[in-house]
Amino acid sequence: MIRFLFKGLIRDRSRSLFPVLTVVIGVILTVFLYNWINGAEFNFIDSSARFSTGHVKIMSRAYAQEADQVPNDLALVGVESLLDELRNEHPAMIWTPRIRFGGLLDVPDAQGETRAQGPVMGLAVDLISATSAERGILKLEEALVRGRRPQNPGEALISENFAHRLDVRPGETATLISATMPGGMAVANFTIVGTIRFGVEAMDRGAMIADIADIRAALDMEDAAGEILGFFTDFIYRDPLASGLAARFNAVYRDEPDEFAPIMDTLSSQSGMGDILAMMKMFSGLVLAIFVGVMSIVLWNAGLMGSLRRYGEIGVRLAMGETKTHIYGSLILEALMIGALGSVIGTAVGLAASYYLQAHGLDIGFMMKNASLLISNVFRAKVSPASYVVGFIPGLAATFLGSAISGLGIYRRKTSQLLKELEA
Amino acid sequence: MIIPKLALRNILGAGLRTWLNVVVLSFAFVAIIWTQGLYEGMNAQAERASVAAALGGGQYWQEHYDPLDVLSLGEAHAAVPDSLQSLIADGKATAILAVQGTLYPKGRIQSVLIKGIDPDQKVLSLPSHFLKAEGDRIPALIGSRMAKSTGLEVGDTVILRWRDAHGAFDARDIEIVQVMKTVVQTIDQGQVWIPLSILRVLAGMEGEASLVVVAAGTLERPEEPGWIFRDLDFLLSDIRQLVQTKTAGATILYTVLILLAMLAIFDTQVLSIFRRKKEMGTLMALGFTRGRVIRLFTLEGALHGVLAAILAALYGIPLLTWYARQGWAMPEAMDSYGFAIGEKLFPIYSVGLVAGTTILVLVITTIVSFLPTRRIAKLKPTDALRGRLS
Amino acid sequence: MKKHARTYGLALLISALAEAQYPSGDWILQKIDENIGSDNKISHSLMIIQGRRGSRTVESRSWIQGDEKSFTEYLAPPREAETKMLKLGDQLWTYSPSTDRTILISGHMLRQSVMGSDLSYEDLMEDRKLKQMYDARVVGEEDYDGRACWVLELTARADNVAYHSRKIWVDKERFVSLKEDRFAKGGKLLKRTEVKDVQRMDGRWIPKKILFKDMLKTGVGTEFILNDVQFNADIPDYIFTKASLRR
Repeated sequence: MIRFLFKGLIRDRSRSLFPVLTVVIGVILTVFLYNWINGAEFNFIDSSARFSTGHVKIMSRAYAQEADQVPNDLALVGVESLLDELRNEHPAMIWTPRIRFGGLLDVPDAQGETRAQGPVMGLAVDLISATSAERGILKLEEALVRGRRPQNPGEALISENFAHRLDVRPGETATLISATMPGGMAVANFTIVGTIRFGVEAMDRGAMIADIADIRAALDMEDAAGEILGFFTDFIYRDPLASGLAARFNAVYRDEPDEFAPIMDTLSSQSGMGDILAMMKMFSGLVLAIFVGVMSIVLWNAGLMGSLRRYGEIGVRLAMGETKTHIYGSLILEALMIGALGSVIGTAVGLAASYYLQAHGLDIGFMMKNASLLISNVFRAKVSPASYVVGFIPGLAATFLGSAISGLGIYRRKTSQLLKELEA
Repeated sequence: MIIPKLALRNILGAGLRTWLNVVVLSFAFVAIIWTQGLYEGMNAQAERASVAAALGGGQYWQEHYDPLDVLSLGEAHAAVPDSLQSLIADGKATAILAVQGTLYPKGRIQSVLIKGIDPDQKVLSLPSHFLKAEGDRIPALIGSRMAKSTGLEVGDTVILRWRDAHGAFDARDIEIVQVMKTVVQTIDQGQVWIPLSILRVLAGMEGEASLVVVAAGTLERPEEPGWIFRDLDFLLSDIRQLVQTKTAGATILYTVLILLAMLAIFDTQVLSIFRRKKEMGTLMALGFTRGRVIRLFTLEGALHGVLAAILAALYGIPLLTWYARQGWAMPEAMDSYGFAIGEKLFPIYSVGLVAGTTILVLVITTIVSFLPTRRIAKLKPTDALRGRLS
Repeated sequence: MKKHARTYGLALLISALAEAQYPSGDWILQKIDENIGSDNKISHSLMIIQGRRGSRTVESRSWIQGDEKSFTEYLAPPREAETKMLKLGDQLWTYSPSTDRTILISGHMLRQSVMGSDLSYEDLMEDRKLKQMYDARVVGEEDYDGRACWVLELTARADNVAYHSRKIWVDKERFVSLKEDRFAKGGKLLKRTEVKDVQRMDGRWIPKKILFKDMLKTGVGTEFILNDVQFNADIPDYIFTKASLRR
C-alpha cells in the first residue's frame, strides 16, 4: 500500500512536490525562527556575561553580600588551588579569575605632581599570560579606539572619553590610587597603551582594564581574586546546567561557618539579569506560539486544499470499488508521509542553518555606528533539543489534521458528485 | 473591465476554498503586525519605564549636577527658580534634591545617594506616596536591588549619615516604609528616597533642588540661568544605543514572518493555477490573449491578498487595539525575578509598520500569483484544454 | 506667698553656688591646651587597625608645626614604608616612593578612611582648636577610668563645623581629655575617642594609648599608641615643603 502511494506521490508532481515543498519551507521557517529567537536571548546576555556576570560567578560570601561596593578586603584567597580544583572537576568550563577595583586615576605632570585626576572603576583580568582564556572572552580589539591592547606588564587600557577628559594619550603614564586588600593605600603606575569604547555611559566616564598580575601586586592581593568567572566553552548559557552546578558547588560549603568561604551564583540570579531574561522568555514564548499557530494553520490549509482538490479522483476510486474508509485511510497515510518527509527535510535544513549561525553568528557590525565592548554586534541562533521536534508540530500534525478533516468530506458526498468534480 | 469583474467572480465563486485561503492569509497578516508590535514594544519598554519612573518629559539640572559624578554633588543644589516653582505648583513638574550620604545597614558602611522627592508628586510613577510622613520617624523608600544589596526590608530602621550644606555631619534613623520593584536601575541602585521637605531641612537646603523633572507632555521650557535643560534624547541615549542592536535582530524576524505570509498563499496559488490549465485553455480558445489570461490569474491572486487585508483589518484592528491598551501582564510566576507588579508589556504599532507590511504582503501575493501563470500561459490552447502540458 | 518666695530664693542661691563651683568651659579648654599644646612636635607612633580579616600595625614618625603644617613618614609595614604625607593648611599631599608620584588628596578623597582605619583624612587634618570651634560649658562631674573628670558639653559656634557638638571628659587634675564623643547635628553619636593610658613626659601629661571608634559601624575601632614625643623641637622649615616629600 505504501509503495503504491509512494509511487503515486513521485509521479504526480502536484500531489507530491508542491505539498512536500510547502511543508519543507514551513518547517524550515519554524525551526529557524525557534532557534533564532532563543539565540536572541543569548545575544542580550552575552556581553553582560563576558564583562561582568560570567555564566557562573564565585565570590567569597562576605564579598558577595556587598559586591556592589567592590570590597576587596573581603576577597577570595587561595584562588590558585580553587582554580585547579574547578578545572579538574569541571573541565568542560572555562574558569578565569578577575579583580574589580575602584579608585582614582591620577595623571602626572613633568614634576610628577598631579596634572589631572578622576575617579575610576577598574577590571583586572589575565590579559598577558599565554594560557589566558580572556582573549576569547573579552573582545577588546573590537572596541579599541586608539592604541593597542596590553601585551606587557604595567600596561592598561582606559575608556576613550576618560582619556579625553584627562588629556592622556596612548603611551603616557597614569597612576592608580586605590586601597590594598589589607586596607592600606595602593599607588601604582600604569602605561596607558590604548583606549576603548564601552558603550555604556557610566563606564565610558571613567573605567580602566588592566592585567590581573599588575593589580594583584598593586593591591597586595597575591593568590586572591574578587571573583572567579565560569563560562560554558561554547559561550551559550544554559540556565538548568548552571543552576545545577551552583547548587552542587554551594552544597559543599554549606556547613562551613567561614564568612570568606566561596559561594557560586548563576548568571540569572545576579542583579538585573533575571528581569531581562524573564522579559525575553515571555516575549519569545509568545512570538513562537503565534508563529507555530499560524504556520500550523497555513499547513493545515495546504493539506485541506490538497484533499479538496482530489474529490474527482476519489470519485473514480469509489466507483472502482474502494471503500470510503479505505480511501480515507490512504489519504491520511499520504498526508502523514508528506508531513513526515517534509518535516524531516525541513528540520534538517533548518537545523543546519541554525547550527551554522550558532557557531558563527551573524555579524551586524555593518549596521552599527560604533563597535563597543558591552554591546554585542554578533547575533547567534541557539539550537536546543526542542528545536528537533518543534518543526513537526506544524509540519506533521497540521498537515495530518488538514487532510483528516477535509477527507471527511468523502463520507458526505455521493460518488456521483465526486466523479463530476473530476471533470471540473 | 471584464478582467477585474471576472477575477472577482471567479474567486467568489470558488466559495469556501477562497475564504479558507483568505482567512489563513489574514491570520498571517495579523500575526506579522502583532509580532512586530510586541517586538517594538519590548524595545520601548525600557524607554517607557525610564520615562515613567525617572525621566518624565525632561529634566532641568542644576548646573553642577551630574548623576555620574559623585564628587560634584556637594555643589549641585540651588534655589528653585520662580518659573520652575510655578510649574511645580501646577503639577507639571517636581523637584528632587540629591545629597551624598552614607548608610549603615547592619553595621556595614555603604555610600548612597539620598534623594528627596515630594510624596504627593504625580509627575513620576515612582511610588513616592509611600513617603507621607507620620510622626517623628523619617520614612524611606528603596528599590529592590538596593534592598538586596543592603539586606534591608520593609519595617527595618537604619542609620543614614550625610553632611549638610555647611559641611556639618548629621545622622538620623530612617525607616524603610517600602521596597519598590522597578526595572529602572537609575532610581534603585545605591539610592535612598526620603520626603523632600525633610531632606531640605536636614541638609540645610531649604527651597533648593538638584534637578526639576518636567512632566511628560508639558510644553513649557522656561530658560533659567544656572539650570540646564536635558531633553529625553539626551537622557535616553544609553538605552537607545542598546535598542539599535535589537532592531537588526528585528529585521530577521520580519523577514521570516513575511516568508510565512508567502507560504500561506504559495500553496493555494500555485496549486490552484496548476489545476486550472483547462480553464486557461478554454479562455484562450474563447479569444483571451495570453496577456489577458496572465492578468486575470494574477489579479485573482492579488484579490486574495486584498480580501485578506480587509478581513485582517476587520478583526485585526479591534483585537490589536484592545491588546495595545491592555498590554500583556507578566504572569505572577515571573515575579520571583523581581519584576514590578503590574508591569506590562505594551505592543507598539507604527503606521509605517502596518502600511509597510500590508503593501509588502500584497506585492508578494501578486508576484507569487504572477510567476506561475506566465509559464502556463505559454501553453498552446489546445494542449491546455486537454489539461496537458506542452 | 512669702514662704514660697523664700524657698525659691534658697533654691536659686544653692544652684548659683553649685554653678559657681564649676569652672568655665573656656578655662578648662585653655588648661588642656597648656598641657598638650606646643608649637613644634616630633612624634613616633603606631596605629593598629582592625580589619575583618586581622589587624595591621602602621608605624610612623611625624613632624608637626602649630596647627597648619605636618609631615609624616611611614616606617612600617614594608608596603607603606617610605610613603610620606604633607599637610599644608587645607591641602594634603602624599608621596609614594614606589611610583615616584606626588599626589594631592582633595575633595571626596579626604572623606575616605586613612589606611582602612576608623578615621578619615579629614579627621586627621582637623586643625582648628576646640576653643575656636566650640562654645564650652561644664555640665557635671563624672569618674572615668578611675579619674575624676569634668564633663563638658561643646556646641559649635559656626555652621561649618563638622561635628555639631561634642562631649568631653577632662581629668580634673591633669587636664587631659580622657574621653570625647562627637555628635551629629541631630544628636546621634558618631565617633568616640577614649584615652587608655596617660603618662608624664617632659613636664606634661601625655595620652599614650588612644582608641578611636566610628560608632555607627561594627568593629573595635582603631588604636593609636604614642611611642615617643618631643615637644618644642627644632624643626627646619624645609621639612614642610613638597620637595622634602621626595627626599
